[in-house]
Amino acid sequence: MHISSSTGEPKGVGAGASEQRAVVSPITLSERSSVGLALLRILVGYLWFQQLFWKLPPTFAGLYEYVVRESQHAIFPGYGALLQHTFLAGCSSLSSPVGCTAFVPLAACVWTAELLVAISLLFGLFTRFGAILATVLSLQLYVGLAYTGWIWTYGMLVLLALVLVAVPTGRRLGVDLWLAPRFEAAGQHHRLARIAGWFV
Amino acid sequence: MHTLRRGLLAGVLASLVLALFDFVTDGAPGNGFPLVLRWFGISIADPTISRFSGLLLLIALGGLVGLIFGALQRGKLITTGRALLTGLTLGVLWWLLFEVVLVNMTNHAPSPFSLSFGRFLSSFPLAVLFGVLIGAIFIQSQGYHGSCQSS
Repeated sequence: MHISSSTGEPKGVGAGASEQRAVVSPITLSERSSVGLALLRILVGYLWFQQLFWKLPPTFAGLYEYVVRESQHAIFPGYGALLQHTFLAGCSSLSSPVGCTAFVPLAACVWTAELLVAISLLFGLFTRFGAILATVLSLQLYVGLAYTGWIWTYGMLVLLALVLVAVPTGRRLGVDLWLAPRFEAAGQHHRLARIAGWFV
Repeated sequence: MHTLRRGLLAGVLASLVLALFDFVTDGAPGNGFPLVLRWFGISIADPTISRFSGLLLLIALGGLVGLIFGALQRGKLITTGRALLTGLTLGVLWWLLFEVVLVNMTNHAPSPFSLSFGRFLSSFPLAVLFGVLIGAIFIQSQGYHGSCQSS
């Protein structure tokens, strides 16, 4: 795996520009580091995978308590009110989703998104897409739940996901190993393949 | 011979990744290893011995599947797609044999193929991952082996 730092071409010419080029050397990731990061990706994928089981369909009951907590402890004041007036509208209980009409569709979307993240990261399949989705979900958790425990817990989840967006970890120990060269070849002729290629 | 050895290595390493999951799961580490013994109807009273025996059996089974994988690749052009697909197929067979049929037989279930959604979700992706990992490790070791020879 080869990762080059995107320093870009220096604008000026002359001694200053060549000095800058000498100082900022490209970063090359060794094979061992790549495999290590691929293992990290698999373990993060397993983390998301494990969290599917306490909020299983069709009721998604385990999730309800957390959505209620988010509506009470969100970092942004408006976020809690937004939850209360949309997904928690009509809910009469703090412990069970009785009377909530919008909760099940929300929970189904959250559960499906988490399943996609787990599959993507475990199998290294469109890994960067999975990592972007994981970043969005983690950010949402950070906004809603950071004040309910150790604030860094969800912050670290966001940072981990961002690492997996930055580095194409699915190209080792993953299906992206097979997909990446195909998208690279097809990307020379098709725009869609070039865009899809960014997600592996 | 090289193919068999690489298959064995890939199988052992893939099973070690599966074993690693048991160390990051909630609760005491190694709680899932006795389940591997139970696939064969074995139960050991001492929890420590039971966990270690389960771990060893998991690695041995992984090595065996890796050997089968290596044997299937002998004398054929090994491409990434072919390796991943063979691994995936072996993963599905692993799931069917161990996680479905043997578990149902040892639990005296009414049918050897009975399965709940929760059990499917908790076992199938990991079994398929095991297979995909065998394929990926095998193909990566081929690249590594090739680069060592050419240098």
